[in-house]
Amino acid sequence: MNANSGGAALLLDGRRDDDPTLALAHDALVGGLDAGGWAVDDWALRNDRIAWCAGCFKCWTETPGVCAHHDGGRTVAERWTHSDLVVFLTPVTFGGYSSELKKALDHVIPILQPFMQKRRGETRHPQRYARRRDLLVVGTVSAGQAEGPEAGTFRRLVERNTLNMQPPRWAVGVLESGAGDWEVRVAVDALLAKVGVEPARDVVGAGRQEVVA
Amino acid sequence: MNASRKALLLVGSPKPGDSTSGSLGGYLLEELEKRGLATETIRVTKAVRTEETMEELRAAAASADLIVLSFPLYVDSLPAPAIRALEVLAEPPVGPAAFVAICQSGFPEVDHNEVAIEICRNFARDAGFEWAGGLVLAAGGMVGGQPLRKLQGMMRSAVKALDLTAEELAAGRPVPDEAVQLMAKPPIPRIGYRFMANWGWRSMFRKQGRGGSLKDQPYA
Repeated sequence: MNANSGGAALLLDGRRDDDPTLALAHDALVGGLDAGGWAVDDWALRNDRIAWCAGCFKCWTETPGVCAHHDGGRTVAERWTHSDLVVFLTPVTFGGYSSELKKALDHVIPILQPFMQKRRGETRHPQRYARRRDLLVVGTVSAGQAEGPEAGTFRRLVERNTLNMQPPRWAVGVLESGAGDWEVRVAVDALLAKVGVEPARDVVGAGRQEVVA
Repeated sequence: MNASRKALLLVGSPKPGDSTSGSLGGYLLEELEKRGLATETIRVTKAVRTEETMEELRAAAASADLIVLSFPLYVDSLPAPAIRALEVLAEPPVGPAAFVAICQSGFPEVDHNEVAIEICRNFARDAGFEWAGGLVLAAGGMVGGQPLRKLQGMMRSAVKALDLTAEELAAGRPVPDEAVQLMAKPPIPRIGYRFMANWGWRSMFRKQGRGGSLKDQPYA
């Protein structure tokens, strides 16, 4: 999807509480996408009942491509498939995603086929759909920890995800708790640009600088 | 000496019935019991259901000397209920038991599981536990939730790895490198595993599928 072409973005909001930095990041993401002409499916996961993926594999062997659960979990693959860009927002949790984000993400396997194929030295499942989605992941860590071990694990996790999801473009950013509105907006805009979204808005203050670790 | 020590197994699989995570963790727990440790098993899906069960989980972890989390790889990481259990144990930190992770996946390479083990190690540090090591099993589909003792021949490397691990953990030492290497050894060649897995999916679809194809695109 080209910049400012009004694509569809799915925002999987994995906040567990009202963390102010994540709230700023959320608003910056929604504002940036909106300013860039994107339609945003803003999904606050903590407000939705989504059963744990039970690993039944019915989405592969019984109703290929469709989750067996009759709750929000079933809609994950559909909403994912109908988007051009998928965004994860999460507190970095031991270097991974929050349980709120993961309860939805675990339901994404219907976008893959069950078969196993060797690809670049590792076994992978083929994509069910030819068209891929770009991926943007934004996480927060404690102040001073943007280069800490958990942030490093987080980046490696996102990279692993991209090997399996094969997004054409992807970006990951780690913000530190306590970052101000301006800092967060600059960082988020830089990340959005990496996945082809050019927010048509002015960020207050001169001299944009990369603050994303 | 070990009679007063307690090992807690957290089964991180969201599967309601028998699971490979339960098989691996259960085998290790039995071996620890043979060496004199008291044991307790908790399924994370039940433990994170209510405030009350979460408090019970915290109490069980606080009274344990050793915690083993055995889980399947879900989307390059831990399944959501296992993450939720770790969040509960870290807020505030429960420590200071020794913490061991066993991660198994359906892929025939162990590399897929490395980040999940890293997450467990980070958790141990954050929650005040002592990181005692991680074991990774590839080609977990070979176990398929069956008791490990039943599969001893095919899974002999994994069995030996868990025996060695039990010996060291019971003595208060971390998971030995030899056990890590043994556990990571694929039970069959990768190409054979992929062939069997692909045959298995087609076979399951023939029995369970409601028409269409394994490659259906319902949301195209």
